[in-house]
Amino acid sequence: MDLVRHLRYFIVVAEELHFGNAAIRLGMAQPPLSQRIKRLEEELGVRLFDRSARQVRLTEPGRLLLSEAREIVGRVDRLHELARQGGRGTVLRVGVPPDLAATVLAALVAAFRESSPEVRLAPAEVWTADQVTALAEGTIDVGLVRHPVAAPGLTFGQVLVQAQGVLLAESDPLAGVGEVHLADLAGRELLMPPKEGEPGWRAEVLTECRRQGFVPAQVHEGAGLGLVLAGAAVAFGPRMELPGLAWRPLLGSPITSRVSTAWRAATPAVGDFSAAAARTLKESAGMTDEGAAPVRRVSRRPGMLA
Amino acid sequence: MSTPAFDQLFRAAGVTGWLYAADVDTGHDVGHGADEPMPTASMFKVPLLVALCRRADAGLLDLTERVTVTAADRVGGPTGLSSMLDDVTISLRDLAYLMIALSDNTAADKLLGRVGFEAINTMLDTFGLEGTRVVQGSGEMLGSMDVDTGHAWPFVDPDDIARLSVLDPSRTNRSTPREMVRLFGMIWRDEAASPESCAWMRGVLNMQVWPHRMASGFPYDDVAVSGKTGTMPTLRCETGVVEYPDGGRYAVSVFTRSFSTALNQPRADAVIGTAARMAVDHLRR
Repeated sequence: MDLVRHLRYFIVVAEELHFGNAAIRLGMAQPPLSQRIKRLEEELGVRLFDRSARQVRLTEPGRLLLSEAREIVGRVDRLHELARQGGRGTVLRVGVPPDLAATVLAALVAAFRESSPEVRLAPAEVWTADQVTALAEGTIDVGLVRHPVAAPGLTFGQVLVQAQGVLLAESDPLAGVGEVHLADLAGRELLMPPKEGEPGWRAEVLTECRRQGFVPAQVHEGAGLGLVLAGAAVAFGPRMELPGLAWRPLLGSPITSRVSTAWRAATPAVGDFSAAAARTLKESAGMTDEGAAPVRRVSRRPGMLA
Repeated sequence: MSTPAFDQLFRAAGVTGWLYAADVDTGHDVGHGADEPMPTASMFKVPLLVALCRRADAGLLDLTERVTVTAADRVGGPTGLSSMLDDVTISLRDLAYLMIALSDNTAADKLLGRVGFEAINTMLDTFGLEGTRVVQGSGEMLGSMDVDTGHAWPFVDPDDIARLSVLDPSRTNRSTPREMVRLFGMIWRDEAASPESCAWMRGVLNMQVWPHRMASGFPYDDVAVSGKTGTMPTLRCETGVVEYPDGGRYAVSVFTRSFSTALNQPRADAVIGTAARMAVDHLRR
């Protein structure tokens, strides 16, 4: 059997959890799809789906095999991609944070294509900590990382900063005020990028929140803004407009995001990307050169030490 | 009757809290971590006040004696003589008033120089308050924070807070909610010193200026709240006596440590009043 093709069918059915919909996506009829899944199950010797009760569900072995299947299919695709290029031009493998705005990534790709048309950009969405690992292992050539980050052997490009605002559900009472103080967020839960992915930024942000009177009862992890839309959490981020969400600046700019490119081996392509990234982030993401951090004033009131 | 849900109340205000309250006359009481050793911050000024009065009662000093406070006496602080610029000549009892009503650090250390640690701690032993100790003056406490953190005020970094010895009851002035309440009960029952001295101490404690903590829980013209606060980064406390129009008197001590290191936390101040009110309501049922 063509194992890779069968794995592709398996992945689509696992994503749809509906044989009819999966068949439509694959451009085939449902009976042959069902048959092929059955054949794959025979080949592997496990049941991948639980088809009882008019509902398709992944079995436990199915869930375990799904991530492996995705990796195998991804590697095969990459093999074909490299073969297609046949050595013409080079590929620059770039890591970018998964929460980078789509428009910013698009601008980045466009700017790099303009400055280095002979190099093909292969971006992958990877959090900072994983980028550091990927750079060390050589699976990416250059990354776009969030500071603070420290790793031996890494060289960083120009650091750009951006004051973050707060994202709230439209129904939040604070959505109606001009600007929000961190302390005003007291009692709310916070959505942040995963701890393993952005340890430095997360620690920095949570310390600043605590210092300014906001100790979130729970810190949720993820890049999707569903919890914010639901009014169950708030998040920090650059100004954005999304239906159902409100963005408000934070009084005193306490939370800033600092990003730069990072690499281990300097190549012309890495240098070009680094320059293009700094330019694009300033132009289309509203980032600025890192200046001296503003000193926060702490007003003195007699009751503070009485 | 079940104990009020103090834990929930404190958590909603972003703090951990310890509390003890007792009817001054019947001893009927309620507690929440009542025997936890806690740093007392500026509340150490109350045992100092009592020891001062006992020395005056014993004829060892005259409270109307006038002393001059100079630049050399001045220690840091946001109120009273600590914030003034010029030398002041003032009686010992007016120094005591400033120390209690405004939590004046300079006034406290000047009086501490006259009374001494030994007299205070011996007195506390006599009272059976072995968990209450006075081992540092205000200037020493403030100075230790600069040494512990390596920098000057403000102290808002969580790492700095973890290093502060003034927040460690084994290295600074200390007590427990129960012992603070017992000390206040003795002042209100004329047991801490002579009846005249106790009456004067009650008057001074009643003139404390801060309305945002214990007093905020009793917003009634016919309820009197007397007390003394204590504040250090993340630590807010107050011990006082609440007197009801029907003659009921209740000594209450509340200590809190906030999760946030922010200096301005009105909710953390107010919960001291709310918790005290809950405790007194419980005792009056």
